[in-house]
Amino acid sequence: MTSNLNFDGVPLDPTLLPIPMTAINLSFNPLHRKADLVTVTASSPSLSQETTAQGAIAATNVRMSYQSGSEVFHALKGVDLQVPTGDMQLLMGPSGSGKTTLLSILAGILTPTGGSVKLLGQDITKMSPKALAKFRLENIGFIFQGFNLFPALSAVENVEVALKLKGYRGSSARKEALVLLEQVGLANKANNLPRDLSGGQKQRVAIARALAGNPSLIMADEPTAALDSQNGHAVIELLRQLAKEGGRTVLLVTHDPRIMDAADRITYLEDGLIQTKPHH
Amino acid sequence: MGESPVRFYCFYIYMASSTIARKNLFEDPIRFLVAQAGILFAVSLVTIQLGILKGFLRSTSMLVEYSSADLWVANKDLVHFELVSSLPAEYLKKATEVPGVEKTEVVLLRAGRWRDPKGNLSTVRIIGFNPEGQMFARWPMGEGQLASLNQSYKVLVDRASLASLDVSKVGDQATIGNLPLEIVGLTEDTKSTASSAFVFASLETANAYSLAELSSNITCRRLPDNSTDCSNQFSNAPRDRNLPAPEPRRLNLSDPITYILIKAKSGEDLEQLRTKLAQAMPDTVVYTRKELSEKTRNYWEVRTSVGFILGFGAVVGFVVGMVIVGQILYASVADHLREFGTLKAMGASNWVIYSIILEQALWMSVLGYIPSMALCFALSAWTLKAKGVMILIEPTTAAGVFVLTVVMCVGSALFAVQRVTRVDPAIVFKA
Ligand SMILES: Nc1ncnc2c1ncn2[C@@H]1O[C@H](COP(=O)(O)OP(=O)(O)OP(=O)(O)O)[C@@H](O)[C@H]1O
Ligand SMILES: [Mg+2]
Repeated sequence: MTSNLNFDGVPLDPTLLPIPMTAINLSFNPLHRKADLVTVTASSPSLSQETTAQGAIAATNVRMSYQSGSEVFHALKGVDLQVPTGDMQLLMGPSGSGKTTLLSILAGILTPTGGSVKLLGQDITKMSPKALAKFRLENIGFIFQGFNLFPALSAVENVEVALKLKGYRGSSARKEALVLLEQVGLANKANNLPRDLSGGQKQRVAIARALAGNPSLIMADEPTAALDSQNGHAVIELLRQLAKEGGRTVLLVTHDPRIMDAADRITYLEDGLIQTKPHH
Repeated sequence: MGESPVRFYCFYIYMASSTIARKNLFEDPIRFLVAQAGILFAVSLVTIQLGILKGFLRSTSMLVEYSSADLWVANKDLVHFELVSSLPAEYLKKATEVPGVEKTEVVLLRAGRWRDPKGNLSTVRIIGFNPEGQMFARWPMGEGQLASLNQSYKVLVDRASLASLDVSKVGDQATIGNLPLEIVGLTEDTKSTASSAFVFASLETANAYSLAELSSNITCRRLPDNSTDCSNQFSNAPRDRNLPAPEPRRLNLSDPITYILIKAKSGEDLEQLRTKLAQAMPDTVVYTRKELSEKTRNYWEVRTSVGFILGFGAVVGFVVGMVIVGQILYASVADHLREFGTLKAMGASNWVIYSIILEQALWMSVLGYIPSMALCFALSAWTLKAKGVMILIEPTTAAGVFVLTVVMCVGSALFAVQRVTRVDPAIVFKA
């Protein structure tokens, strides 16, 4: 199957995709997809209200200002975003456009200056820090650009930490951690320390950790940015798989065009606002 | 009913935190060892200061502790064992007549100046007692026999005092006042760190030494009409050294004595007996052995600055240890901020993070305490042997220091926790 991926009617340059399009099982109807890709701009609250109810992620008029000294910098200027349950959504845009800021807010680790964020139908902006931490623990898996593994712990122990936080005990945590490492193809590296793993392997351990406890939301910030193309490829494959697995909603900030074909939707952020059209 | 949710929760926190806590702590072994060395010295400083204080206080009252007397009768102006006015010797007879008293013995405390064979002076404390007595001289004998004191001008000194008296062995000679002296034995564990060296002698010899001093000597006697008769005696004529020393005379009623030791008849109520004794002998105070010992220790601990100085040293050790542990934990936390941020982002509660730091603090306290106690016991064995100074580490002190160590480590952990609670989990997305 060959097709020009459309993004709001703008043809995507196939050369951007290093993987031959034919090789990819695109499990969506491009026509249907086109309708999906209508991203909502800041100035259309009526539309957003209709869609918040069913989405796994629903952000309404999210604003974020950073105060540095006497100057206030508006990093997000009113962002509306819906991600339906089970979708893999990419967040793209130039550096400094506010992607990380938005992701942090949507993941409940940064409090927005204004607006509201609903995750799985719950308004996280109204939660106490304690309740929010519990919500993150139960529902969100994180993947970071810098892996953020615990350097003193082996691969399997890194995964175990997350499992234990989620209530797994003793040997069942170890067993489950090994299952997760197996899933990311690292069963044979279970006892390696992070410093003895390649970048891609580290990120796969981090993915295994993010999958601990089977959270319904996965939030990732540039998971392949620190990886060379070979390592990046393995991680992308994994993310692709992960997105296909039932019911899991994935929100991914990336500059990596190789991930685009795995995505259900792509949202462009520029200068703190969602763009209806990609910049290039 | 199963376990409560709270207990489950605590268990999870523990399980989640323990691996990270331990592995992060031992991640850099050199830094960990340097930290442990710091804790070791701080804990040792605290222990040794307290041990010296305890050993010092113990030494001030050992003569009382070793005695087997039920009661000690002393002048009511007693301040501590070595600071007390005299009693008239006639009180000995009075005490013996009090019903319920089985036996009495006299102890004399006198000051003297010891001139060693080279002619150097040192002050000594002359202690006179009956070598045949049962109640006083019950300390361990290192060398020689108590009975040798029955001969004139023969004395015992503590083995640990030999050096300060500039003599080295049994058989060495010296003078007190202008009278000769020969060491016929050595005692053990009788040296008071607070006092000049003790010279043990028979009552007669001790009395002779005190009268031989070139000093005025006021003797007071209570007369039957309750008035006091005092006489000032001077013995200022240096004795001709070519003549043999006169035999010490027996004590008479005009000689002041220091303590009367009482053995009660068996089954006698000590409280009643002491009341009777105090009534029979005006202006006296009657202590049990324990009371006199405690009063003496208390004097040195509270009324002198010794307790304060050593206690101050212990406090300094505690503070130094706290700063070291605080510094190490704070640095460790600062090094692992991203990890703590990641835990927070993942949804770990603050308690998980506290428990990690707390566990590290506990590891540091236990692993600092054990070698430090070993060091202190080794040191105390050495100082006792080599210096005659006792660093007394009682089980209560050891337990107390352990509690202090834990408090010290946990206290500084709270300081390090401050750093983590301020961590913004949003740092995790910053590359
Ligand atoms: N803590 C902060 N204080 C002040 N300004 C901040 C802070 N964090 C981000 N900003 C600013 O907000 C804007 C958006 O930052 P953000 O990190 O969200 O960008 P980004 O889209 O993720 O960029 P990149 O692709 O380079 O990671 C930037 O201009 C940045 O300088
Ligand atoms: Mg970013």
